[in-house]
Amino acid sequence: MIKGFEQSPQYRVGGALEGITVVELCGARGHFMGKLMGDMGARVIKIEPLGGAIERQIGPFMHDDPHPDRSLFFWSHNTSKESIEINIETSEGQELIRKLVGRADVFLEDCEPGYLPSMGLGYKDLSTHNQQLIMTSLTAFGQDGPYRDYKSNDLVALAMGGIMHSCGYDDLPGSPPIRPSGDHGNKIASHYGLIGTLAALFNRHFSGKGQYIDVSVHEACNSTTEHALPSYLYEKEIVFRQTGRHHSTVPTPKTLCKTADGKYLIVFQLFNNLHSWLSLVAWMAEFGKAEDLQEEKYKDMARGGPRGMRASSDTTDSDHAFEVVRRFIASRTSEEIYRGAQKLKFPWGEVRSPEENLHDPHFAEDRQMFEDIAHPEIGEGVSFKYVGRPYRFTESPWQAFRAPLVGEHTRSILSNDVGYSESDLRSLDGKGVIFLK
Amino acid sequence: MSEPENTIRKNALEGVRVIDFSWIVAGPQCTRILGDFGADVIKVENDANLDYIRASKPVGGSNSPNRSPLFTTLNRNKRSLTLNVMHPRGMELLKELIKKSDVIVENFSSRVLEKWGLGYEEQKKINPKIIYCSMSGFGHSGRDRDFVTWGPTAQALSGLTYMSGLPGEDSAGWGFSYMDHTGGFYGTIAIMMALIHRNRTGKGQHLDLSQVESGIGLTGTAILDYTVNNRPFRRDEMPPGNRAPERGVAPHNTYPCKGEDRWCVIAVSTEDEWESFTKVVGNPSWAREARFENMSSRFENQDALDELIAEWTINHTPHEVFEILQGAGVPAGAVQTPEERVEKDAQLEHRNFIAEIPHEELGIAKVESIPMKMSETPWSLDRPPPLLGEHSAEIYTELLGVSPEELGILFEEGIA
Repeated sequence: MIKGFEQSPQYRVGGALEGITVVELCGARGHFMGKLMGDMGARVIKIEPLGGAIERQIGPFMHDDPHPDRSLFFWSHNTSKESIEINIETSEGQELIRKLVGRADVFLEDCEPGYLPSMGLGYKDLSTHNQQLIMTSLTAFGQDGPYRDYKSNDLVALAMGGIMHSCGYDDLPGSPPIRPSGDHGNKIASHYGLIGTLAALFNRHFSGKGQYIDVSVHEACNSTTEHALPSYLYEKEIVFRQTGRHHSTVPTPKTLCKTADGKYLIVFQLFNNLHSWLSLVAWMAEFGKAEDLQEEKYKDMARGGPRGMRASSDTTDSDHAFEVVRRFIASRTSEEIYRGAQKLKFPWGEVRSPEENLHDPHFAEDRQMFEDIAHPEIGEGVSFKYVGRPYRFTESPWQAFRAPLVGEHTRSILSNDVGYSESDLRSLDGKGVIFLK
Repeated sequence: MSEPENTIRKNALEGVRVIDFSWIVAGPQCTRILGDFGADVIKVENDANLDYIRASKPVGGSNSPNRSPLFTTLNRNKRSLTLNVMHPRGMELLKELIKKSDVIVENFSSRVLEKWGLGYEEQKKINPKIIYCSMSGFGHSGRDRDFVTWGPTAQALSGLTYMSGLPGEDSAGWGFSYMDHTGGFYGTIAIMMALIHRNRTGKGQHLDLSQVESGIGLTGTAILDYTVNNRPFRRDEMPPGNRAPERGVAPHNTYPCKGEDRWCVIAVSTEDEWESFTKVVGNPSWAREARFENMSSRFENQDALDELIAEWTINHTPHEVFEILQGAGVPAGAVQTPEERVEKDAQLEHRNFIAEIPHEELGIAKVESIPMKMSETPWSLDRPPPLLGEHSAEIYTELLGVSPEELGILFEEGIA
């Protein structure tokens, strides 16, 4: 481990990434990587331009106040980081970054290809002074190739990445493919960027050497489309999109079923095996809704299991069975069907709004999936409920603190970690290299 | 902690052995990445209880368990061991393997390993440093721990399905098991973090993953909008379809192109990009109208704007729009079909995105590469996806010390 940095005041012990310092120069493409590292105990120093990162202008905002410290988009992607404002376009700003990265374990950046090397901040320059450095670059298309300099964002990434081709409606005539909302192109790439970074950290423990990692959002999305590429690569078959269910090369039954209380359930795998089929029909019969599904031919279909289903080309009976099940579901509430079906081992789920999970006893109470995070800058004792840990570690816990205010740690990092005096800081401030509050 | 040894290593996870009980998509996605980084991933299988995906759309319609395209891409760089855990000798051999391994991964429902007598406490007695990653639907604690998920279930419950669609319409959801891929990523991330933690502390641990929780983790902004502003996700403009109300920019949408059900995307977010856009589409007079004069007016009038843009895009193929607009510095893309991704995408070709390796039954196995280039420990496609039981003999004899005589008995009695 490189011990170039003092522990920051917020530093927590016991996290899986304790002792690792990350310098992050990221926008929307890569900020989630830094958050995931910070939440697991790494010290993450986020470099922002004077005035703050542009993502601070993305809504929604707390109480609709478009203040750079009140973007909820920024909050959710930047927990567990410190912020330092540096003007990277000045040579002294570049020197500051060189100093920070010279003592870090990891440098995460998502600038356009060639931008950092043009300022002497490429991997070749930085690794000369820090051979243990791991530098992870997250770009739209990668560091080389014909599309290298093309412009992208989440929508373009999901379109070119093949994800949108699989998503949308088949029952809404003329409707386009739909981008699933939530910045998922950037998230897929951030997950891969993090995976590469962790692999390099593990490797460095034995080799003593860092390395450069060139991650492409385009490739990350293209490798995350399940059947789409395998179907083409082996059979030259093209999957098409279907509402709320898997892309396919042949039409499959609708899986979104409406309930009596106007919600939707995702319903599939009716004919997995005889036992589960009988239990489903018995349950429906309790409510007088089994209709003709107790007939022998449906038992035969269930005996065939999923493979038997696929083999038969005549889907009249299975379509009918699905219609009867759909009528049963339409007569009960979503909660009732969801829990009843799960008790019978059917993997059906409610289509929930994200906020509904705040009231789900399993996730909210038993598993403590949501965490109160303090916001003392808003007021004494103020905290907000955030999405918590995406995994549960039994030895090295997840632990997050709120996103930094713009430049909140400029002074503490430069004086405590880099060793600048107050007059050094004032001079840099005067020259527009940093901004002191 | 031992000091770095400065050894030359070919792969990042060299020396890490993974016992992989996982199946279908989420678990194999997790272990595929570990294998791509050079871990020795041993896929433990059983003739009587095959990984479903081995039977998914076999090439040529055969009954072979070795010809599924999806299985192929999810299981490259792994070895296959057939082992019957229900047989006492099988369990004994499995315990030997646990002694020689670093990580155990499974994505069964939440009580399966306990039923085998192999919960984390038991694993720890066999190998105190073991890292156990369980990838169940709901996690290993809590009142609903026995509920089960597939990718679509996790997407529905976590809120991801609901968040995708056109405003005013029902959910469009996801067209594939995104949470199998992403649940797999979280498994990989957790395991590698635990390996780094173990390097520092010498301690193993249980990583208790829930596919729904990993999905909930992706809804952070929507949750905050509710807990801070009391605003539910669905409202006038939400879900946003392909637009960007949170950024207030336009044009930002899909547009119809030449051909049946063909589409492109255009995403303009600065005045410079708008200027370039209007120039490259031929300076139409409407582009100078007052209602489109700045970003906020374009955003306000985007219905009309989108219709006018569609009159231009409909005369071009998606790739033409992509090349024309990108050539002018405007963010745009084709909604690429699988065919275009393989045959027309010059970038993927340049970056050798599709990797190939000889395969006994398929001739050549073709798979998506891991989407990154690493300067010191690049990934390589060292092994094709394993035939069922392909590596049983070598693992039993070389790793577990089974004699050739016993090996025959193991196969005969259905233990191997």
